[in-house]
Amino acid sequence: MTTPTSRAENAKLHVLDRFRRVTQTFPKTDEILGYKSQGKKVFGWLCTYAPEEIIHAAGALPIRIVGYSHETDLEDGTAYFYVNNCSFSRSCLQLGLRGEYEFLDGVVGGSTCDGARRLFDLWRHYIGTPFHHVLTVPRKYTERAHNLYHDQVRQFHRHLEEFLDIQITDEALRHSIEVYNESRRLLKALYDLRKLSAPPITGAEAMEVLNASFRMPKELFNDYLRELMDGLSTSGNSYEGRARLMITGSHLNNPEFIKSIEDTGGLVVTDELCTSTRYWSDPVVLDGDQTPLQAISKRYLNNFPCARMFPSDERFDRILNLARDFRVEGVISQIIKYCVPYAHDRPLLTERLQAQGIPTLSLDVEHGTSGSGQIQTRVQAFLEMLESRQR
Amino acid sequence: MAVNQDNVKALGIDIGSLTTKAVVLTDGEVLSSSVILSADTAELSARTAAGEALGQAGLSFDHNLYIVTTGAGGKSVPFGQRQKSITTCLARGIRYLFPSARMVIDMGAESITVIKVNERGRLSDWGNQDKCAAGTGVFLQQMAKLMQMPLEEMAKLSSKAKARAGISSTCAVFAESEVISHVHRDPPTPREEIVAGIYLSMVHRIMVLCKRIGIERDVAVVGGVALNSGLVSILEEEIGSEVLIPDRPQTAAALGAAILAREDIDKGCLIT
Amino acid sequence: MTSTGRKVNKIDALLRACRLMLRMSKARPEPRKSEVMYYQMLADYYTRLLNAREAGDFVAAHTVFFPSEIMYAMDIVPMHLETTSWMTALFLGEYADLLSAGAELGLAPEICSPHRGLAGAFAIDALPRPDVILWSNMVCDNTAKSGELLMKLTGCPGFFLDHPFQNSEGEMNYLVEELADMVRFLEEQSGRKMDWDRLSQGVARMDRQIELLRQIGKLRQAVPSPFHPQGFLELLTIDYLFAGRPEATEYLETLRQELAEAVSQGKGAVPKERFRLMTLFLPPMYLIGFLERISQEYGAVSVTEPFFCSWGEGRLDPSKPLESVARKSYMLPEMRMYGPLDDRALSEIVDSAKQYKIDGAIYYADIGCRHTCATIKLFKDVLDELDIPVLILDCDVVDPTIASEEEIRDKLERFFELLEDR
Repeated sequence: MTTPTSRAENAKLHVLDRFRRVTQTFPKTDEILGYKSQGKKVFGWLCTYAPEEIIHAAGALPIRIVGYSHETDLEDGTAYFYVNNCSFSRSCLQLGLRGEYEFLDGVVGGSTCDGARRLFDLWRHYIGTPFHHVLTVPRKYTERAHNLYHDQVRQFHRHLEEFLDIQITDEALRHSIEVYNESRRLLKALYDLRKLSAPPITGAEAMEVLNASFRMPKELFNDYLRELMDGLSTSGNSYEGRARLMITGSHLNNPEFIKSIEDTGGLVVTDELCTSTRYWSDPVVLDGDQTPLQAISKRYLNNFPCARMFPSDERFDRILNLARDFRVEGVISQIIKYCVPYAHDRPLLTERLQAQGIPTLSLDVEHGTSGSGQIQTRVQAFLEMLESRQR
Repeated sequence: MAVNQDNVKALGIDIGSLTTKAVVLTDGEVLSSSVILSADTAELSARTAAGEALGQAGLSFDHNLYIVTTGAGGKSVPFGQRQKSITTCLARGIRYLFPSARMVIDMGAESITVIKVNERGRLSDWGNQDKCAAGTGVFLQQMAKLMQMPLEEMAKLSSKAKARAGISSTCAVFAESEVISHVHRDPPTPREEIVAGIYLSMVHRIMVLCKRIGIERDVAVVGGVALNSGLVSILEEEIGSEVLIPDRPQTAAALGAAILAREDIDKGCLIT
Repeated sequence: MTSTGRKVNKIDALLRACRLMLRMSKARPEPRKSEVMYYQMLADYYTRLLNAREAGDFVAAHTVFFPSEIMYAMDIVPMHLETTSWMTALFLGEYADLLSAGAELGLAPEICSPHRGLAGAFAIDALPRPDVILWSNMVCDNTAKSGELLMKLTGCPGFFLDHPFQNSEGEMNYLVEELADMVRFLEEQSGRKMDWDRLSQGVARMDRQIELLRQIGKLRQAVPSPFHPQGFLELLTIDYLFAGRPEATEYLETLRQELAEAVSQGKGAVPKERFRLMTLFLPPMYLIGFLERISQEYGAVSVTEPFFCSWGEGRLDPSKPLESVARKSYMLPEMRMYGPLDDRALSEIVDSAKQYKIDGAIYYADIGCRHTCATIKLFKDVLDELDIPVLILDCDVVDPTIASEEEIRDKLERFFELLEDR
């Protein structure tokens, strides 16, 4: 299978190798272990509703809890979680049970979905990381919901201060917000390049960049990313595909999956994944009279929504806008088996996209799948259908 | 009608979907045992297996026998005195064979059962998954057909594997299609790796069951599939210790049934 | 729509089934008064639903654990969606058509069967169209996400009640305000005003009902246990369908009296009680009759059901009706299992095992209920420490193709053998 056709010879982006290297030994990457060896703390977070900046402002390293980066047997995960919980939650739990996350000083998450909720219940009982905090995350966007979430964020802030026996000052928070907003700005710039007819970076490569962002100090990541942006502007790389695709659905962080799709000739130009676009899309807005915590909580609750949020139209509208901005021709909806919120949304979202003339390919997957074989066959058929519509 | 209990022989019959096993016991010693392919009816299977075992021991149906039946066909045998579930029989059987065993994995034709016994040899817990035959003798036979080689050859081949092909352990249907794609891949995955992958996927299913009820050593393995050295060595790797396998692993439950028969005889239960 | 044809056939069929059960309960050699009352209440519930359109009533369909006391106080007719769904399986044994309709809508098979069947039922007009759809996130994602599709299928307006994760002060206040919003929504939609006095009365009755449930729970600790093996289904239905209703109080008081008498006479629910069992989660509905029979056969009685019968502590204050409704939602047995599952929740299981002197526990691992299944290992380990064996039964609450009666019987018999062998 050939990669998407390019207009010019695609220069190897060496800086991408650095991103790849970061994730190779995940969870125990050099960056994480290096941070710990300085006597600093590392906190694992799950879900885009856990406010990272607060951890960062406390001088600790926030890293994202994810499962295995490939599809694998989940004996321990399944034995503890039972077979009918999503493979993402089982995968995370198994890594935790097998001591892969033993370097964590704390875990933070939200009451976001059943899998996440029970993951924390089981984690507390069987793994027992010293600091353990679960925020209540409302499902609505009302003013009242914002007040509740803000309250939760403040409690988390206080709990973290107590645990670390420090003060997490407004100044520290403002600084962290700046660092994280810079990340978001850079990632947005990266994605904006994918709006081009022939983007300089593939979807798989973009996922590798995102993965690294969860596994290393943000400042360092920002440096790498700036270098990448420079590299891209001079590389002259460009990719075209048989169709411009968007990936939606459950937690996905295996670039092999996206590569499998792109190997069939499609080009993934954007997505709605919590491990990509939804992670960086909204900045924290600090206007005059708001405290940093208020600004942070506002941003996190209003952020590009997870399917758990109500009303679903908020999510659907944003997806449609993205599809329009990136001139998406087809959507690949990959949903992990037992991922209930996304499975429920699927029929309604497919309809909305269809009404905009965008067909959807629905794929049932397991977390970590590399997407070979059957999946490629189906993507092929999808691309052929998209091409025939273009004629 | 009172019978001289001294010469009553204990007979245990395990009527399975693929094979039927019988064991004759006297005063705590195994006199004989048999394994036959199951017939059309449970009764016929039981008679044939029992007949063979009795014959080996120089006995016949004319002798005073106390019979306990078990297995899938256990309830359909009219000439037995009692029927007991396979799990209870396994617990008794393993107690006799390996008193140190606390966990038994029964790899039968159609399902895997995992039981736990306490220090008194009493059944304390069990788990089984018979929904999808992805960890059983039937599955292995299907795989042997796909690989176009006899089961014994498969077992020998797996020890040569330098790697193991990744094969789904959640569902037999998926596993089958994955094996097919490995065979037809270009270049094809080495056959020993496919076989090792098949075994590994079965072992993973077994491990989920074991972990759910908590692994406790010593671990014993019984059932027809226990004779598959390739699979057993991968199982030992995953468990992290050697497993105990009796000389005749298929007859463990029938042995247990015979022991239960013996217990009944000693209690003075009458043959009706 | 007229009341003939398919349009209301499930409710109609359910009503006939309830009436049949009512006749049967009256015709027993020794009728249990509380049982007769229970089936009368069910029959009345479905009669009200069946006649709602003609009577000009306003029907609010709602999901499980939804505070129906609010609707009663406004003279709105509630339709409990999940209960109606699983009663269809329980009483009518028919579910396949609803499930396939659900599949046709594009709903993944992993979405739990009561919800798939519900959506399917509305899609094929097997349930009457309500006036509004009310749903919440109690107790899982399936429920939280079910509403929007139901609104679309029925063309009804709807309200989502966002129930916070824990019961801190801030979260409790949030819930009270959500409830107030919901009342306003119902007032707008129905044209009926909330009668706060009536709600207060409902709260006062609920407080009494919870007290009675606690007392009934205590009586069931007796050896032998006086309540019939699968009787807890009646107890959980009371709060689901009849919270705060006077007839519910009457039923509970009658039942409590009956049980107290049985206990004083040392009379057990089964002739010879051999095994006292803890039931974890819900048995398949289509097997309830079978489970009653096998329980009688083996002398196995379900004496405690932590998911359904262990209410949280505290009393309800009728002078603060909305706060009390909020508070009660956290006291609900299953909401206490929602999480977080800390040591308090686990010690509940341990206490229950000891107080009820259980010999073993049966965990009904409903394949569609993810968040309950995630507690299987946790609870099993906790009970293991007490040397109490736990049987895990793979099943589905309404779909009989997952586990047949034979399979369940086989596993139960093995389990009873194990218990006996000890």
